Amino acid sequence: MSNRVNPDIKKELRKFGEGDWNDCFNCGNCTAICSLTEKGILFPRKEIRTIQMGLKSKLVSNVEPWLCYYCGECSETCPRDANPGELMMAVRRYLTKIYDWTGLAGLFYKSKLALFIAFLLVLIGVIAVGYAKGFQTEALMEFGHLFEQYLIIAVFTLIILPNIFHMFWLTIVKQKVKAPIFSYITGFWQLIWNMFTQTRSLKCETGNFRWFEHFLVVIGYLLLLLTTVFLGWFSTENTFIIWLGYIVCALVFILTFDFMIDRLRKKSEVSKFSHHSDWLFVIWLFLLGLTAFIVRLFVDTNLIDNNIWLYIIHLIVIAQWGILLVPFGKWTHFLYRLFAIYFAYLKKSALK
Amino acid sequence: MGENEMTGIFFCCNLNGNEDVVDIFEVAKNAEKNSTVTVVWYSTDIFLSNVKSFASEINKNDLKRLIIAGNKTGSVKSFLTEAMVIAGKNPKNILMADFNEYGANTKAETERAKAILECAILGIPFETASVPDETSVLTDTLVIGGGIAGIQASLEIANGNQKVYLLERTATIGGHMAMFDKTFPTLDCAACILTPKMVEVGQHQMIELLTYCEVKGVTGGPGNYKVRILKKAKRVNLASCISCGTCSEKCPSKTFSEFDAYTSLRKAIYIPFPQAVPNKYLIDADSCIYVENGKCGVCVKVCPVDSCINLDEKDEEVEITVGNIIVATGFKVFDAKKIERYGYGKYPNVITSLELERLVNAAGPTAGDICFRKPDKKGNMVFTNDNEKPKSFALIHCIGSRDENYNKYCSRVCCMYSLKLAHLIKEKLPDADVFEYFIDMRAFGKGYEEFYDRIKEEGVNIIRGKTAKVEEENGQLLLRTEDVINDSLIEQKVDMVVLAVGLEPREDAVELAKMLGISTSCDGWFLEANSICDTVDTYTGGITIAGVCQGPKDIPDTVAQASAASSQVLKSIINGKIRKSIKDLSYNKIVSNAKEFSK
Repeated sequence: MSNRVNPDIKKELRKFGEGDWNDCFNCGNCTAICSLTEKGILFPRKEIRTIQMGLKSKLVSNVEPWLCYYCGECSETCPRDANPGELMMAVRRYLTKIYDWTGLAGLFYKSKLALFIAFLLVLIGVIAVGYAKGFQTEALMEFGHLFEQYLIIAVFTLIILPNIFHMFWLTIVKQKVKAPIFSYITGFWQLIWNMFTQTRSLKCETGNFRWFEHFLVVIGYLLLLLTTVFLGWFSTENTFIIWLGYIVCALVFILTFDFMIDRLRKKSEVSKFSHHSDWLFVIWLFLLGLTAFIVRLFVDTNLIDNNIWLYIIHLIVIAQWGILLVPFGKWTHFLYRLFAIYFAYLKKSALK
Repeated sequence: MGENEMTGIFFCCNLNGNEDVVDIFEVAKNAEKNSTVTVVWYSTDIFLSNVKSFASEINKNDLKRLIIAGNKTGSVKSFLTEAMVIAGKNPKNILMADFNEYGANTKAETERAKAILECAILGIPFETASVPDETSVLTDTLVIGGGIAGIQASLEIANGNQKVYLLERTATIGGHMAMFDKTFPTLDCAACILTPKMVEVGQHQMIELLTYCEVKGVTGGPGNYKVRILKKAKRVNLASCISCGTCSEKCPSKTFSEFDAYTSLRKAIYIPFPQAVPNKYLIDADSCIYVENGKCGVCVKVCPVDSCINLDEKDEEVEITVGNIIVATGFKVFDAKKIERYGYGKYPNVITSLELERLVNAAGPTAGDICFRKPDKKGNMVFTNDNEKPKSFALIHCIGSRDENYNKYCSRVCCMYSLKLAHLIKEKLPDADVFEYFIDMRAFGKGYEEFYDRIKEEGVNIIRGKTAKVEEENGQLLLRTEDVINDSLIEQKVDMVVLAVGLEPREDAVELAKMLGISTSCDGWFLEANSICDTVDTYTGGITIAGVCQGPKDIPDTVAQASAASSQVLKSIINGKIRKSIKDLSYNKIVSNAKEFSK
């Protein structure tokens, strides 16, 4: 396959993250220091080289950027201070833009104004619905419950699935990767296992504590989804579900608060650079946990009827999260990462 | 040129918590007296990442020229160039007025900083405007440092029939070159080139050797320097010692040998190496038992010469008067312990290139055999000759060089000496596998590229990629490297890892520079008057620099620079006159010179 040199790709990538691609002199220290690289799966130098040469088609066919968990060791030891870790993060943001068929992901990464307008529109929309329902607690809660369910189905079928198929197309089909059918099944179990545990990141230099924190957040988030959307946490009488909901909510907002503090302190390599998409992701996850917690607390103390504004705030956070951040923001990294591991497995089994 | 153009001045003020720096505000006030200077910025006020807003500042003031003043001016040049381009101005109109480069560092040198900036405003190069007067010169010369640079410079001047004091900190002249086995690219024996020169220095009537001495202070000025020298006590009488070695044989105290790069042990009373000049024994006070607690004196008892050893000898200070000083203090090798991931100091068989240099040397601790580092009976880690030989080697280039975390510069010699060491390993152990990991192969000199080809043909595996870490696995060392050309990851197990350590300025280089009144560049090497066409002179009259202390270089370049430095000295002696220091020129003198030129 021939490649075309696209000089603009360097300029475009600057909008997705910090760093100068030309600092790198290709010594390969970053690839060799990384604990996740193995035969056939080499990063981040290969990605930087592809960008330096302007090979866009080659860059978008790579799954390697998703295999990095950004421990930052490559950036710490880089002899050129070229910051390969952050470059990989920027490539991930760029790839999100490439996979997304709507074009909104790219727009939101590049333009804070567009993002602000979108958040504002969703806010107005939710208040309008509240007005239409006459700010009645029961009617609103029922609407919210249905809205969450339809939203999840819509986002998955209309945006996330096509995007993942696009990724599959770029990395596997177009590259003519011929993996045995059986490996599609064996790889899928790995995908499910990784979704909940992300054990690959245990190999990273950042250590087990960071993995455990992320593990708890993922579990907490998935359980929060389960309890609120599918078990009807806000209206249930079941004590077990009520307590489960409280615990997972607290888990989510306490841990994300800790992540925010890390990003403010900028002590470790991973928290040194924060793109606005990183901030939005962690703040909204925090708000999600916190508002849900308070709403249920008000339900339990029978204060919710007089404080319906609280539920509306919660609904605004959910709508912004579900409509904007899940399909177009950093949340997708979680899914793409899982599928990248799956596709990398396919590529590897095709080589055998 | 350009003096009627609107000018903006950008001050780089890196105060670093240091109080004794040039008074930037006074310099700025003086510069603003010029009608063309319309704006002054300070780097502490400007947010140095927003190029566009800075470009609009330039346009708002309709500036045609920018002057960067202060220290480390080069660091903001690219930013200002970009801003000038965005503003639609000619980026060539950026002038530099670096205070450090022209020797204005302290508060007392504020006047000089003013002159440096004034010259830039007038558009005249500072070196053109600052031509000092001449004064008479004494014929004696002091050479500081007895390595190959100092030896060469001393011999050149002494052969010109002028008196030279050659001062050396250690007990023998010879320096780092005496430690090497072979020289690249011809693989000549280093000792065969050096030792005849050392002997010549030792016997030369015009050279007075001051070994085991240190410079304590310098007063006076160009043409007439008074140098205070500390003569450390050798505790052995140079005149009566017959170098029989009996004292050393019986001495009960052992310590690591500096000359063997700490790979072997020597006695407290010792001679650095058999060809040392002067070839006399001396006592190392740090390891001598008598010096420590007053109980021993074995050496005195066994010495066949009467009152040759005086254990109570004290250090003394002498003063000499010289006209010129040549500084040839050389370098120290990078401390590989600083980069923990290569395991130097943790794994005994990760060694530095200097240690290997001693191992392959026939006069070295193992008589030229390469063997493992093991603890001896007393637990000291030394190389002892036994039958077990390493079967595979890895040489890692650029340790501490070309690295933003340590030294940014290229040490210039490591590529070539690594190739040479690879060859020597192959010569000693033909069946050994040798792997070299490099970033870029810098074979820059005459015959060097051919040498590189030769080593490749000898079967050394030369791989492009920087090794990231060394770990121990089953008694062997595991290296992780990306082969950048073949896009593959190499996990190689070897028996011995050699770190090609770079060159660094000596720890006390700054102290010596202060004593002599010369400057150091930002990476710590002594600063030359001009990096292209005057690499041996400094801004201080009568002080020249030679060898690695000016910047990393190989032996041929060092020798050439030493000869160049001695020609500057001989020139002044023949003329009987020497230029005073540029740094002592007054503000008025420089500015009036500059105005003269700008007419």
